[in-house]
Amino acid sequence: MAKKQVKKVTKKLAAEVDASAEVISRVRKSAKQITTSSTAEYFAKNLQQVGFSSPVKAVLTTLKEALDNSLDACEDAGILPEIRLQVEKLGPGTLKNTDQIRIYVEDNGPGIDPDDVAKVFGEYLASSKFGRGRCSRGQQGIGISAATTWAMQTTATGARVVTKTKSARKAFTCVVDMDLKNNKGILRDKGTVEWSSPHGTSIEFKLDGRIQLNGEGGLLNYIRSTILLNPHMTLHYEISDVPSASVDRVVNTVPVVPQATEPHPHTMKLGEFMSHARLFGRMKTSVWLKRGFSRVTDKVLQDLVSQKGLKRKVLDSFVDSLPDDEFKALFSAIQAVDLLPPATTSVLSVGEDGLALSIRRIGDIDFFAVLSRKPVICDFKPLQVEVAIARLRERRGEDNEEQVQVLRFANRVPLQFDKASCAIVKAITSVNWRSYGLKQPKNGLPLGPYIVAVSVVSPFIKFKNASKETIDASDELVEELRRALMQTGQRLSRYLSREHKAGELEQRVQHIEQFGPILVETLGRILGASDERKQAATAGLARILEKDTKGIKKDLADAEGRLASYLEEKKSRLAGFFEGLDQDEQFTGTDAAAPAPVKPAAKSGKGKV
Amino acid sequence: MGTELCERMLSDLEKAKRPVLTATKCSLDNSQYSPKVGYLTPGNKKVSSELNVSSVKKMSRAIFMLEILLRNVEIANINTKRELYYVAKGLVKHETKLRPLDFQDQDESDSVIDFICEMMEAYREELNCVADDRGGQTYSKQLVVVETELDGTQSTIDLSTLGTAPYQPKNRPQNLTLRAKEKIDFCLIIESQGTANTLVANGFTKRHNSILIGAQGVPSNAVRAWVKRIQEQLRVPLFFFGDLDAYTMQNIYRTLRAGSAASLIRNSDFCAPEVKFLGVLPEDIAKYDLVDYPVKESDLQEARALKKARDALSNDPFFKDKRNKELRGILDWLVKNKRRCEQQSFISVDPRDPQMMEKIIIDKIKNGNYID
Repeated sequence: MAKKQVKKVTKKLAAEVDASAEVISRVRKSAKQITTSSTAEYFAKNLQQVGFSSPVKAVLTTLKEALDNSLDACEDAGILPEIRLQVEKLGPGTLKNTDQIRIYVEDNGPGIDPDDVAKVFGEYLASSKFGRGRCSRGQQGIGISAATTWAMQTTATGARVVTKTKSARKAFTCVVDMDLKNNKGILRDKGTVEWSSPHGTSIEFKLDGRIQLNGEGGLLNYIRSTILLNPHMTLHYEISDVPSASVDRVVNTVPVVPQATEPHPHTMKLGEFMSHARLFGRMKTSVWLKRGFSRVTDKVLQDLVSQKGLKRKVLDSFVDSLPDDEFKALFSAIQAVDLLPPATTSVLSVGEDGLALSIRRIGDIDFFAVLSRKPVICDFKPLQVEVAIARLRERRGEDNEEQVQVLRFANRVPLQFDKASCAIVKAITSVNWRSYGLKQPKNGLPLGPYIVAVSVVSPFIKFKNASKETIDASDELVEELRRALMQTGQRLSRYLSREHKAGELEQRVQHIEQFGPILVETLGRILGASDERKQAATAGLARILEKDTKGIKKDLADAEGRLASYLEEKKSRLAGFFEGLDQDEQFTGTDAAAPAPVKPAAKSGKGKV
Repeated sequence: MGTELCERMLSDLEKAKRPVLTATKCSLDNSQYSPKVGYLTPGNKKVSSELNVSSVKKMSRAIFMLEILLRNVEIANINTKRELYYVAKGLVKHETKLRPLDFQDQDESDSVIDFICEMMEAYREELNCVADDRGGQTYSKQLVVVETELDGTQSTIDLSTLGTAPYQPKNRPQNLTLRAKEKIDFCLIIESQGTANTLVANGFTKRHNSILIGAQGVPSNAVRAWVKRIQEQLRVPLFFFGDLDAYTMQNIYRTLRAGSAASLIRNSDFCAPEVKFLGVLPEDIAKYDLVDYPVKESDLQEARALKKARDALSNDPFFKDKRNKELRGILDWLVKNKRRCEQQSFISVDPRDPQMMEKIIIDKIKNGNYID
């Protein structure tokens, strides 16, 4: 019996050993398969994360990335941007339900050194802006490389680049392909061509996609948004199925993107804090703290020792040899000490004048209100909010019950997707627009033929995703946005109040004109009254009802007075805007003002566009 | 009356004076009740409507409709409210200048007609505007009705010749003269038309010299005037038999007997103060072992009726009058106990006896088991 049992146990053990050996062998095999992928490989497999999740978005994102790069390059070089862009269908695409699309963007920027072309267009995370804390459109150096990847993946063609710097005699041209394995750009078909402008860059992609013109995610909405927030830009565009057009700049100064300020200690984590120290080499800790951070002064250093119990010797030691425990003590002390909030000098705004001038370029508008809030600290980051609200004349109608068109911007880049969870939309829906004269369903966007444009500018915008489509809705940010929207709503209400009163008066007069004669005529008919009696009654009725309109006439006069004084204040606030207006274009909120929007492009065309 | 009103308005307009239209306030707070009179009468409160920008549309519509009504009276034409709505719509569509008056639905034209009646303190029927014939279907083996038509023609209807079919009283029962072929012992007005039918089908009118009327819920003007006619011309005892609930007590029985606040100006011609409340009475539940059940307060209609009953106890002059303390007691019982009992519960006392309801009714009448 015992022998049998031993045999059984031995057999069982042997089976278990075999199974373990198999597991070990599998683990070893899989361990051998662990490899390191390049950044390019990662993005190539996850292009949906950076805005290429559908054929429609692919076209829009490519155009957006190319245009952002052009505008950033021009602004960095202090050049007033003049952009030409083309989006055209070439034929059916290789992917299902797509067309092959050609996207061409040309700027008059400083041009790119031929040695940098491969990096700019063919390498991920190669950027002059990464982590610099400036309000530039591009930040990480992902977007345009992703566009190149999409073009390669869908049409097996790279990006055709032509670029000329001021010093070069001819323009450098090449096709940029990507070596995804090594995250490197490869140049081919290199050469030189004549270029009519002293400097500039053009990029051309052929990719599979689909052109969507209208709607929130449409190309026209994108172009309209870009025009609004870039008053200093001249744009010529040609898009399939849309008449070509040119939009001239309305501001002749290049916005200067403020230099980044040093980081604020309270925005850092311990690891970042220690890494930051390594950038400074051998330096006394006290000096490092004052040079490497904003808002750290001698007084703060004294407080660290006297109030927060930091040992003086920590501040006197060299930062590169500071032991970890002392780093931790220093970090804890500095987090606890009182510091001024971060400086707001690093934010960039379009300005009320610029917005006012620009808003006339996006359509035929009745009236508008613009507002630039002062820069504030929000979630411990400097930030500025700007709002422009305009009523579109062409979409006005009695039964216009559509939601207002919301244009969202982050660092002057339009956001066109995932609207519902965005801080801007949350702020708009939280405002009671009815008190400013707009219709609004409960907890919804207001209704009517309005454009509500909201721009958030900050060197550190908290996006919810890598494709930068939505701004995270923190309570502080939503509150700041709400304040901006409410202030703009108050300005808008001056126009609407006058309009409502005028409408009410018109309605009353209409009412009298409609029903007065019927009443008198019917009474006359029942009584068989003479014409004289009827005439006397008509005159009497007119006198009675005239008295009834007195009150509303007074209200209208009051509303007009309030609007006039608001317009005076607006004229002084928006001096630049009103200087540029003709005598008859005074934007009084009446139907008199009708500024010309976009003008059609000249037939002849220019250069390569 | 109508032309006087128009004359006043036109004359005011000639003098650039705002015409003011005044009407009796038809609401409970302007209702008075005296047991001697027997129905709700109006107090002194008036409502005025002055011509201004806001009311010019309403007044134009009223005068426009008044013209149609006055013409109807002149040519002895009768229309229902619905017909008047379409007549008005047709005229408006035909004449471009009248377009602003257009009625979107019948409610709008109905309210204009009511406004005219209130202004003129006239019954709708006096302006030859009648409702559809509804309710009041009457059965009797003894009753004879003589109808005088507008052209003076007289028709005689002997109800005993109709078999089990009912006689439908007209919307202007003032044109009817009644007589009894032989002595009629009582008139029974039943809340439910169906129950009246059942009693007749089971031979009630064959066994009892009576008049049986199905009220069909809240009595229409026609039913109210018809019962008043019976009271005045036949002098027979009248009994109302209906559910034991707050709605029946206030909206059906009270209206039949003493009128309503909304019709203060015409209660004198549309009430029968001698109608007694036969039941169902609270004590009947125990006496006849009736099935009753609690009021469903979650039901919007029942909850509203209860609330109205509470209001009636404190504000309704009919229920506040000491002569009606027994009726008030029933309303109070209903509010406190929140129970109800249907008239049909008499059937279920003995479901195998088709005459059980009849037997209980007769028993109650004989024994004086009702509220005067």
